[in-house]
Amino acid sequence: MSRAKVEQQPATGTVLVVMVGLSIAFLLFMAFLNVVKTGNIFNEANLLYAALVFYAGAGALYLGFGVTGTDSYIKFASLATWAGLIANTAAVAHRWYEAGHPPFASLYEMLLSFVWTLAALTLVAEKRYGVKVIGTVTMPVAIVGVVLMQLLRSEVRPLVPALQSTWLHVHVTLAMLAYAACALSFALAMMFLIQDKMKTEAFLAATSIFTAGIYTAVLTRFEGWGGFNVVAWDIENKQEVFLSRGVRLFVTIPDLGWLMLLVFAAVLAPLVLYLWSAFKKNANFLALANRAIFISILLQTLALIFFLLRTRDGHYPSLDAEGLYATSLAASPFILSALVGGIFANLLYLLLLWRRTDLERLLPGADNLDRITYKTICIAFPLLTLMIAAGAFWANRAWGSYWNWDPKETWAAITWLVYAGYLHMRITRGWRGRRAAYFAILGFAVVMFTFFGVTYLLPGLHAYA
Amino acid sequence: MLPSLSSAVRKTWQTLSSIKTGVVLIILVVIFSAAGTVILQRPMTDPEDMARAYSPAMLRFLDAAGLTDVFHARWFVALMILVSCSIVAASVQRFPNAWRYFARPYKSPDQNFRRALPLQASIPIRDEEHGLGAAEAVLRKHGFKSERIVRTDSFSLFSERNRISEMAVYIVHASLLLIFLGGIIDALVGWRGFLMLTPGKASNQIEMKTGFSRSLPFSIRCDAAGEETYTDGTPKKYWSKLAVVDNGREVSRKEIVVNDPMVYQGVRFYQASYGRTGTLDELVLEAKAATGGASQQISLAMNQAVALDPDTTVQVVEFIPDFVVQDGHVYARSNQVVNPAVHMIVASKKTMAVVHYWLPEIPGIAENASSPYLLEPKDLKTGVFTGLEVSHEPGQWAVWAGVVLMAIGLTFVFYVAHLRLWVVPVQNGNGSLVLWVGGSANRNRDAFEEKFKVLVEELRKELNPVSVPVEAETASVAGR
Repeated sequence: MSRAKVEQQPATGTVLVVMVGLSIAFLLFMAFLNVVKTGNIFNEANLLYAALVFYAGAGALYLGFGVTGTDSYIKFASLATWAGLIANTAAVAHRWYEAGHPPFASLYEMLLSFVWTLAALTLVAEKRYGVKVIGTVTMPVAIVGVVLMQLLRSEVRPLVPALQSTWLHVHVTLAMLAYAACALSFALAMMFLIQDKMKTEAFLAATSIFTAGIYTAVLTRFEGWGGFNVVAWDIENKQEVFLSRGVRLFVTIPDLGWLMLLVFAAVLAPLVLYLWSAFKKNANFLALANRAIFISILLQTLALIFFLLRTRDGHYPSLDAEGLYATSLAASPFILSALVGGIFANLLYLLLLWRRTDLERLLPGADNLDRITYKTICIAFPLLTLMIAAGAFWANRAWGSYWNWDPKETWAAITWLVYAGYLHMRITRGWRGRRAAYFAILGFAVVMFTFFGVTYLLPGLHAYA
Repeated sequence: MLPSLSSAVRKTWQTLSSIKTGVVLIILVVIFSAAGTVILQRPMTDPEDMARAYSPAMLRFLDAAGLTDVFHARWFVALMILVSCSIVAASVQRFPNAWRYFARPYKSPDQNFRRALPLQASIPIRDEEHGLGAAEAVLRKHGFKSERIVRTDSFSLFSERNRISEMAVYIVHASLLLIFLGGIIDALVGWRGFLMLTPGKASNQIEMKTGFSRSLPFSIRCDAAGEETYTDGTPKKYWSKLAVVDNGREVSRKEIVVNDPMVYQGVRFYQASYGRTGTLDELVLEAKAATGGASQQISLAMNQAVALDPDTTVQVVEFIPDFVVQDGHVYARSNQVVNPAVHMIVASKKTMAVVHYWLPEIPGIAENASSPYLLEPKDLKTGVFTGLEVSHEPGQWAVWAGVVLMAIGLTFVFYVAHLRLWVVPVQNGNGSLVLWVGGSANRNRDAFEEKFKVLVEELRKELNPVSVPVEAETASVAGR
């Protein structure tokens, strides 16, 4: 299967590299516009920008490996990750010094810590576990994180009374470590599935379903007249516009909704073709499905570019209030990261499609990966437990109660239960291999929901990081 | 297990103690907890928001099903009780076996055991004493203290580490039950309420969420309260100086801030909120007689008459924190001290004249011009209140103990393995003397396998300085 694809790859590969290269350049340009400030060249924003450049370089090199199959790309990607980590460490140190407290007090600072932990753990995994290509999964996540940071409010804000506690540091450090360990276990589980000879078509179906899920969530913002709803942004005060407590004002960007709908159809096409090929047992449809992935990437990139351009500086009407309101990328960080995440997932699938044999050569054996995934979760689970306990103790000191069935607390408990389920099934029922890997992937999905979904998708209160 | 019970009871017990039941229950807890985060919950949401989010029919359905207060619904509590029962049942079912490992260590392996153990090696030796002596030395070097087990005509060695690890899983589950116990105690006996105090006031009435008031056997007095802000206006610190008055005596004092509560007799007082009451505490004025002369500084509290001279008094009769004038009357727009106005009465005893003095001078209402004294405001202090969250949660100690126990338990479950080593001199099939070495670990087997290999290699070197063809090793069932 992969042999046939190799012949087909060179022409489409070049187009893809050009497209991806242009997109990454565009993203960096957008970040640059937000970042360049006069003054001391070693300020935090520039250091962060440097980190972004290096992480983006690492990500591009991993993809370059996907296109050319040359092993040395991996080595340079690792070096780029090191360079990015150094710049990131400098940014963290700078921020800590400026703010007078470790970077835990706002979403901007949390992302800074998370990206640093992710890069550090990637390098640890490469060294200790010998999994040299783990960066293909973790670097895109880091890139999305740093790009998001460029959009968020970054002023150093002093800590409000509720956050003035050592328990803040304890709780957040544990959370960052636990979540990063879960991210690693996710990457390892994915690699296990590759080494366990899961069919490439299955990855195609999974990628397509994942991207379709992203666009389903994005399309909840579709407005009946073909427009796309985004949150209004108060440019002067640099925050969202609220109609009343907790209720944000939405503006409608015309025509963007149709584009998202079109891309959604393109994203579903590979899945449909795959199902058809499985139903009709016809391999030609499978080849078409792979072509369709390529087209879907192009269209997704188009959607991203249009989204970036339209939300950057616009005034749009709102259905809830009179007049035109401004919006900005900063108002929709999660739509942006969802779109970018979808593109990356599809690119990683192409990497698998074109370079599967090389990846299988570079990765440790399936049994090893299964064991390492288990070991990583053995580290993540106690950290999760301690994180929840520290959070409860802190809540008790600050608010008078250690457990309130808050959505954030409840979802943290759900995450804990899912990983407890993994451990039970593995230790007592001997679930190894595929089933354990699926469980690990599910666990990470729940972690991501706890981290982002609760704040931005659930109704009601307590929208804190 | 209990052969005298009928098979129905036994079947129930089997189901309750099975892992599958446990996992099904975990899944159910997950589903209902998730529902409790997606559906708006009554304890945390305003009734108007609830009415706005759901249609009346939907709201009736959700209320009836208990979905608007999932975490306090009877069936959810029942589910949690079922989870606890399943943990207890599963532990009781498996505990005897684990206890056997823990209480009665298997020190002298018989022939079947030696044949079947996966991790083993056989080393030829000249005589028993020499072989066992070398083994003891090597084990000691690696931190294994060995015990001599006397047999009929010889002895063998047994060495183990971290036997407690066999109990680790039960420690973890017991800790979970302890945490649940704490939660149950607090749900039954614990309470939470609110207490609002102004400086100088004392109270022992706690306002509960149900609307009722709870009386404490002691009172809390607020001596002072305040806030500090950063230069940009964000709050930096809310503080209250509190004192506990028990039986008329002041028993303890503390300045509390957010994150640092005061505790007395198991009741905790947390700094929750702070604000202005919109009342006047103190108004400092500079009064100068209209006819000229020196100015004097006077300080007025609400409704307090102060003499400016033997004939004239001034008194604050009204304080409006946020005033607005409409139709020739002064109204209060809100309770926030945004636009304050003070209404005073300057009275002269001799002439019986009364002047309505307003600061600021509101045209059409104030009669400032006809006042015998000119009053200039110097300082305005408005009243503050401090909002205290009060709670009594006796079960929390069980929760924290459970957390500590769980941390210990998890450490043992993941990182501390029960290691056992046996060294037995045996006659092998050929009639020659060999030293049988066996090892076992209850977790992290791959790490132990490495260690075992190293141990065996060292032992071989000890016993056979000249290299002798080595026997087959690990992972073979066919032992000696």
